[in-house]
Amino acid sequence: MEPLKALILTECDRLKHGIPCDFVGVALQNRNNPDITWPYAIGNRNDKHKYITVRYGKGIAGKVISSGTPMEITDFPETILGKITDYPIMLAEKLVAAYSVPLVWNDLPKGALLIGYRHARKFDEQEKQNLREVAQHLESFLSSHFTDE
Amino acid sequence: MELESGNQACSYIIQSQEEEIKRAALELHESINQNLYTLQTGLNFIESGIEQPELRNYAKEMSGLMERTIREVRLLSVELYPNTLSTLGLTAAVKSYAKLFTNTFGILIDVESQGGEKLLSDPESLAAFRVCQEALINIAKYADTDKAKIAFTWGEFSVKIEIKDTGKGFDTNEVMESGRSMGIAAMGERMRLVGGQCNLSSELDKGTTVSIVLPIQS
Repeated sequence: MEPLKALILTECDRLKHGIPCDFVGVALQNRNNPDITWPYAIGNRNDKHKYITVRYGKGIAGKVISSGTPMEITDFPETILGKITDYPIMLAEKLVAAYSVPLVWNDLPKGALLIGYRHARKFDEQEKQNLREVAQHLESFLSSHFTDE
Repeated sequence: MELESGNQACSYIIQSQEEEIKRAALELHESINQNLYTLQTGLNFIESGIEQPELRNYAKEMSGLMERTIREVRLLSVELYPNTLSTLGLTAAVKSYAKLFTNTFGILIDVESQGGEKLLSDPESLAAFRVCQEALINIAKYADTDKAKIAFTWGEFSVKIEIKDTGKGFDTNEVMESGRSMGIAAMGERMRLVGGQCNLSSELDKGTTVSIVLPIQS
């Protein structure tokens, strides 16, 4: 396994067991265009995330990256704005609740870290803060994704 | 008499909607996007003439945003109405949509075509395309599977299209009775309006098949 992948998946695994939650995913913008993919996932039920490419501003990851702010879904599809097909990762992984925070690189949001559950739930401040801390840690690995380092 | 006028109204509503969608898609693609492209070329030209680094960077950012917007508008236009339907035909349009579908939902679609493709009228090919689209969206929403297949069989007098998944399936009677079958009814209605047929079969834990048959006018 390549070093970056191993580092990120180890962090995701630690996060999944530490919280605990059903799914942890990392979405990143491509190096050469604004499209976003889900290269890293733990707790996935299938490989759909590997083929999903969301446009900047679309889907949970696209919205988190374009706005630079976290996003919370507590009871999918009951509490969402727009159509259920606007949330492909929720459909692909059968997630019902998710919280996602931006991953910042070079002062710009370039990725998203997401934790998901396959049942409805709310997220408290402590959980949100924990996720922000893990996101900050993951941000230190992003140089090798966006540069030739 | 009442039933016939109801069918005519339904046909009129679907046709009007499709015409309006097509008009919006073409307007986005051929007018708005061309203007945006001209603006982007102008921005690039201005950028090359700016000496101040801050202003130059700002112009570059604007040009990048414009490029993104052009791409968004192009994709929105294709999502609304696939131009390939009139230029390259139904199979090519479905293949192109299947690729977009895989990129969106991560579900792999195998598109197969047997026999020589025949020319369909615009309403016929659009109706068949919309049924394929609806069937695939239903797979993404409900089937819980990571692959599906679309098979075209072109005969001399008709074309048969099967959209098949091996997902979790459902009890068709229960869904029909519960009133949660508007999408299925709409697929049937679209095919009926162009003289075709639409059948759906599903079995729990085995999957679902949507099958349409469309006569080919000589």
